[in-house]
Amino acid sequence: MDQLLPSVFNGLILGAFYAVVALGLSLIMNLTGTINLAHTSFLTLAGYLAFSLVLAGSPYWLALILAPLLTVVVGIIAERTLIRPLYGRDPIYSLLLTFGLALVAEEAFRLIWGANGVPFTPPPSLAGTVQLGFMAYPVYRLFIALVLIIVIAALTLFLRGTQFGLRLRAAVLDSEMIAALGTNTQLLYMINFGIGILLAGVAGVLSAGLLGLNPTSGNALLMPAFICVIIGGMGSLLGSIAGGILIGVVIALTTLYIPAASEVSMYILMAVVLSIRPRGLFGEEGLFG
Amino acid sequence: MNLKRLGYLSSAVVIVIMLLAPQISPHFGLDISIISEVVVFAMAAMSVNVMFGYTGLPLFGSAALFGLGAYGVSLSITFLHAGFVVSILFGVVLALLGTLLISWFLLRRRGIYFGLLTIAFGQIFYFVAYRMRDVTGGEDGMTFQRPVFHLAGMNFAFHETALYYLTLGIFLLTLLAFWYLTKSPFGHTLIAIKQNEVRVRHLGLNSDSFVLVALLVAGAYAGLAGALYAISILFTFPLELDWHQSGDFFLMAVLGGAGTVWGPLLGALIYVLGKEILSTITPAWEIFLGGIFIACVIGFPRGILGTVIAALVARNGGVKHEEAPEAEPASISA
Repeated sequence: MDQLLPSVFNGLILGAFYAVVALGLSLIMNLTGTINLAHTSFLTLAGYLAFSLVLAGSPYWLALILAPLLTVVVGIIAERTLIRPLYGRDPIYSLLLTFGLALVAEEAFRLIWGANGVPFTPPPSLAGTVQLGFMAYPVYRLFIALVLIIVIAALTLFLRGTQFGLRLRAAVLDSEMIAALGTNTQLLYMINFGIGILLAGVAGVLSAGLLGLNPTSGNALLMPAFICVIIGGMGSLLGSIAGGILIGVVIALTTLYIPAASEVSMYILMAVVLSIRPRGLFGEEGLFG
Repeated sequence: MNLKRLGYLSSAVVIVIMLLAPQISPHFGLDISIISEVVVFAMAAMSVNVMFGYTGLPLFGSAALFGLGAYGVSLSITFLHAGFVVSILFGVVLALLGTLLISWFLLRRRGIYFGLLTIAFGQIFYFVAYRMRDVTGGEDGMTFQRPVFHLAGMNFAFHETALYYLTLGIFLLTLLAFWYLTKSPFGHTLIAIKQNEVRVRHLGLNSDSFVLVALLVAGAYAGLAGALYAISILFTFPLELDWHQSGDFFLMAVLGGAGTVWGPLLGALIYVLGKEILSTITPAWEIFLGGIFIACVIGFPRGILGTVIAALVARNGGVKHEEAPEAEPASISA
C-alpha cells in the first residue's frame, strides 16, 4: 500500500508527458491529416539542444524556454519543405515521409551528439525531495507536473479563447470554407504545426532530465502518444489528455503488480477500449474513418 | 511493342537473372545470403502490397506477422525438433493465427485508423516476444540448428545456394499466385474497395470479408517470409517484430511501386543492396536511406515501377493492356 500512492503519482506524471506529446500529434493530425512519426524526434532534438545550451553556459531556465523555440524553427522548416507538398494526399504518405525523417534524425543525433547517451541533470534547485505529508516526493517530478499543467492549461485557453483558436477549430471542420472566408490556411497549418512541435519540445527538455538523453530516447514516447490519441479518440484534444492520464496510471499499476506486462498493458487497454467504443473515448464519428 | 508483351518479356528477364544470381553475384562481391535476403524481404513487402497497393489499407504492422513466422520456425525447431517443412508450416500457421487475432479488431476500421492499429497490435507481439524470456530468449533472441529436409526416407541438409533456390522457388510461386489473384474477380474487388468501398458495398458485396481474406493472404506472405528468413539466418530476435522493421517493409513496397506485381522485389533489391553498399561507405547510411525515402514519397508516390508503368501507359495513349491499378490515394473518409 505504501508503494501504491507514489506509483500512481509517477503514473500521472508519465501520463501527463504522454498527453502533452499526444496533444501535439493530435493538433497536427486533426488539421492536416499528417501522421507525424517524427514527432518524438523533435522531442529528442529539444532535449539535445537544451543540453548543448547548458553546456555552452546558458542557465537551465533559459534552455528550458530557448530549446523548444529552436526546435519549433527546425519543425517549421521541415513542415514548409517536406510535409507541405503532401497536404491533401492520403495520410499514409505523410506517415511514410515522417518515418523517413525519423530515420534521418536518429542518425543525425548520432553524428552530432554521439551514439551513447549524454548526461542532462536538472539544476540543484530542483534536486532532492519534498515532504508532501503522506509521502516524500522528488522535487523535479513535481516541477514537471507543474510545467505540464501550465502548458495544457495555456493551450486550452489559447484554442478556446483566441481568434486563432477559433479559426483553427473551424478549419478542422471545413478548411475550404475557412480559406474562402479569407483565412490564410497555409499560415494556419504552419502555426498549428509549430504549436505541436513546441509541445513536443517542452516535453523533450523535461523528459531529458527524467528519462535520459540518447539518440533514441524520444522513441519510447511515440507509441504511448499514439495510443493516447487512439484511446482518447481522433479529433478530440480532451481525449488525448484523458488517454494520457489513463495510460500513465495503467502502466504505473501494472509495473507495480505485474512488471512483465508493463509495456503491453497500454496496448491491451487500447484493445479493450476499442472493442467497447470503436472511435475512442471522445472521438468524433466519421473523422479519419 | 504491346505493353502486355513487354510485361511478360521483362518478367522473364527478371526470372532468368534471379535464377543466375548465385553465379552473377560473386562478380559484384555480393554473398548469396544477401540475394536470399532480397527475395525474402520482397515476399514480406508483398504482404504490404496486398493490403496497401491493392486494397488501399495501410498494413503498417507487417513485421509482427513476419516475426511470428520466424518465431514459429525457431520455437518448433527448439521445442518440438520439427523438420524443415513442418517448421515452415508452423511459422505460417502462427502468422495466420496472429492475423486472425488482430483482424478481429481491424476489420471495421479503414484508412489511417487501420494503419495506426496495425502498428499498435504489432507492438503487442513485439513486447510479448521481448518479455517471454524463458520461451523466446527475450532480447538475446533464439539461435537454432538448421533443420534437415526429409524426402522419401532420405535426409538433405540445405546449404546457402540450395536454400536460395528453394526460397526463390517459393517466392516465384507466391508471386505467380499473387499475379493470378490480381487478375481474378477477387483481386478486382480488392482494387474496387481501394477506389470506392461504398460503391462495392452498394453492389451487394460484403467488403469486410474481402478485406479479411486479403489480410490472411498478407499474413501468409509475411509469415512465410519470416519463416524462410529464420531458416536462412538461424537466429530469431524481437526487433524483427518491431514497427521499425514494418516501416522498412513498407518502404520497400512503396519505393518499388505499391500496386504493381514486381514492385516489392524492386524495392527490396534497392533497399538491401543500398544498405549493403552505403554501410560500407558510411556508418550513417540510414541518413541516405531515409533521404532517398523522403524524396521518393514526395516525388514518386507511385514508386519506381509504378511511375515507369504509368509513363508507358501514357505513351500508349492511356490504353492499359497490362492491368496495373492506379496508385491513387485512397480516400480517408471511407
